[in-house]
Amino acid sequence: MAENNHSQTQSTGAQTTGHVWDGDLQELNNPLPAWWTYAFYASMVFAVVYWVVYPSWPVGKGFLTGMSTVSYANAEGKQESWHWNTRAKLLKETQDAVIAQKPYYDKVASYTYEQIANSPELSSFVISAGKAVFSENCAACHQAGGQGKVGFFPNLTDDDWLHGGSFEKINETLHKGRRGYMPAFAEALDQTQIDNLAHYVLSLSDNKVDPAKALKGKELFHSQTAACFYCHGDDAKGRQVIGSANLTDKVWLWADVPGSNDSAAKLTAIKQVISAGLNKGVMPAWEGRLNTEQIKLLTVYVHELGGGK
Amino acid sequence: MSATKVAAVEQYDYDIIKKFSVMAIVWAVVGMFAGVYIASELAWPFLNFDSPYLSFGRFRPVHTGAVIFGFGGSALFATSYYIVQRTCQTRLFAPGLATFTFWGWQAVIVLAALSYVTGFSQGREYAEMEWPIDLLILVVWVAYGAVFIGTLMQRKQPHIYVANWFYLSFILVTALLHTFNNIAIPVNLFSMKSYSLFSGAQDAMTQWWYGHNAVGFFLTAAFLGMMYYFVPKHAGRPVYSYRLSIVHFWALSFMYMWVGTHHLHWTALPDWASTLGATFSIMLLLPSWGGMINGIMTLSGAWDKLRTDPIMRFMIVALSFYGMSTFEGPLMSLKDVNALSHYTDWTVGHVHSGALGWVAMISFGSLYHMIPKLWNTQMYSVRLINAHFWLATIGTLLYITAMWISGISQGLMWRAFDDFGNLQYSFVESVAAMHPFYAMRAIGGMFFLTGMLLMAYNVFATIRQGVRAAESSQSRPAVAATA
Repeated sequence: MAENNHSQTQSTGAQTTGHVWDGDLQELNNPLPAWWTYAFYASMVFAVVYWVVYPSWPVGKGFLTGMSTVSYANAEGKQESWHWNTRAKLLKETQDAVIAQKPYYDKVASYTYEQIANSPELSSFVISAGKAVFSENCAACHQAGGQGKVGFFPNLTDDDWLHGGSFEKINETLHKGRRGYMPAFAEALDQTQIDNLAHYVLSLSDNKVDPAKALKGKELFHSQTAACFYCHGDDAKGRQVIGSANLTDKVWLWADVPGSNDSAAKLTAIKQVISAGLNKGVMPAWEGRLNTEQIKLLTVYVHELGGGK
Repeated sequence: MSATKVAAVEQYDYDIIKKFSVMAIVWAVVGMFAGVYIASELAWPFLNFDSPYLSFGRFRPVHTGAVIFGFGGSALFATSYYIVQRTCQTRLFAPGLATFTFWGWQAVIVLAALSYVTGFSQGREYAEMEWPIDLLILVVWVAYGAVFIGTLMQRKQPHIYVANWFYLSFILVTALLHTFNNIAIPVNLFSMKSYSLFSGAQDAMTQWWYGHNAVGFFLTAAFLGMMYYFVPKHAGRPVYSYRLSIVHFWALSFMYMWVGTHHLHWTALPDWASTLGATFSIMLLLPSWGGMINGIMTLSGAWDKLRTDPIMRFMIVALSFYGMSTFEGPLMSLKDVNALSHYTDWTVGHVHSGALGWVAMISFGSLYHMIPKLWNTQMYSVRLINAHFWLATIGTLLYITAMWISGISQGLMWRAFDDFGNLQYSFVESVAAMHPFYAMRAIGGMFFLTGMLLMAYNVFATIRQGVRAAESSQSRPAVAATA
């Protein structure tokens, strides 16, 4: 492919080194391109300047600290100055941000929930800071918009509140966490009884069911045998003080009734919950992980997400 | 007369080179398929199928291992054995040992891939193999060094050709890197699990001293060796500047050793170490470009070949991507640029502009030049080479453009604050914003893989054609001899 090129070599005018490999491989003896040499020197000058600005060569047990500095007011308000280093950069950015947001957080701390919600300035701040805190801490379960996930995590944007939707109750939930629990009835009741109960529960939210079964279910619901009314109440509307669900609204957290196509699937979903019970509704306590002001503004943020009460 | 023919073929030890060339193609197909698959997993996560064996975390080292060590490694073994013989005018030293390097190296790739999918990993990037495989690599590598250096020592040429310096530095430095990065204590002799001798910031620094020098000596110096032989050989032109080749070889070797710490900016690594990594990366730019200048200037006067010869096109585009990614690298190593680029897809795009644009393209060009010579024939189809060239180029451009956009978007979204100084986006919003670019990247990869499949077919047909011609010439020796 590459034979007979020795004449070309001469035609460029440059001398070869006189070595030949593998028949025709040669090297010209061109000098280094001048621009290349100067650019290489320039990169060295750049490096030296960089060493003067930033911490660089280790010397003895220390190192050259560089001329650049980082200054900021620390948490006590005292001015601190360091030679350039990444930790000081982080502290500076954090402290500067804390100082910039302090007036807002001070107001969050001293205002009532209603005052925060009614102040245009503070509610803008709550929407901004609340979204950031919510996204980093809550969205993993409750989803980015707070819409939750049926079968796993409560929807925060509807007006159904297991533990209460007032500012105070939301704040308590955030501080202390919650644990949802319902006993399993698979052992206590037989399949027919569970089936009847499911018919009754489904009928409570205006679904079409077998009325005879629902009637039997209703009796069982209010009987000492199943004793559902102990927790869900005589009217089946739940009791927020213990976090039991309202079965008469059309909001479902555990049994995926809205996602079921026909009444057989809806009944199966409810029977599953009655049989197996629930021991997975865990909301962690945020006390100690978030500070009081963060939890307070998160309270207002969650309250405003949907129908806070 | 047929005896002279046989003697010509027998002048060099080609059998081992043929084996490695074929496996380079095989691993390229396997590794690039794995790459397309994991890229698709990121775009369409259902492809994980909830199986641990197919999960991104285990499949990703299968991809990197198969393309870097399987494809890249086999291509380097093949070309280094080819070049060292032809430029030293001698056969391989210790051919038995050379055969061992082939089977040993293939075993390494297979065992590594199997260990990754079954969940064994050291957790060191590009060195995920656990200790038994590391030991096998060490043995193979020492054998490789012995064959290469032994061949150089029995050369019939007074001077060592420049390509061989690059291969030699690659072999020596890779041995050094591999050894020190993998010093680990096994849990016990019958356990695959081991723990690194280093801890904390020292461990991270050892890992990236290895990681970046693997890029420097495995993926750069060695492929420059490939370039220094195949570009002048294929163009039929002398190397542009002997002096430049010496200066940039030593500058490159000296500077590369320092730059690993630029992977650890803004971490627990001491700031002074991070500064040195950044500045040596800047000083590395021109030594890197030395190779590009020498390659491109070698072609000057042969530009007309670009119109007709797709092999030449692979080589020139490889040099262009090499120049671009060695400019991008120093830029990204500056602390302030790195604050934006680090942990984003920009890094992934940068790696692939080097890996697809430079390493793969220069290997394609070299293999297309070398394979017909090994089998004493012509490439089966130049049109297929041309199609491969365009698929590879478009695929690379799609890939790196997608990663630039997604990487810079990620960097900007993660640091965006609103008027109150609160984070504007949650992490998951940045993930959602990446989706179209992840899809685009997967499509770029599919282009590249399709080109690779064309190459595999073309090479298969070429070899078949070469073997058939050899068989018929043996049956009609008189004709072959006069041809």
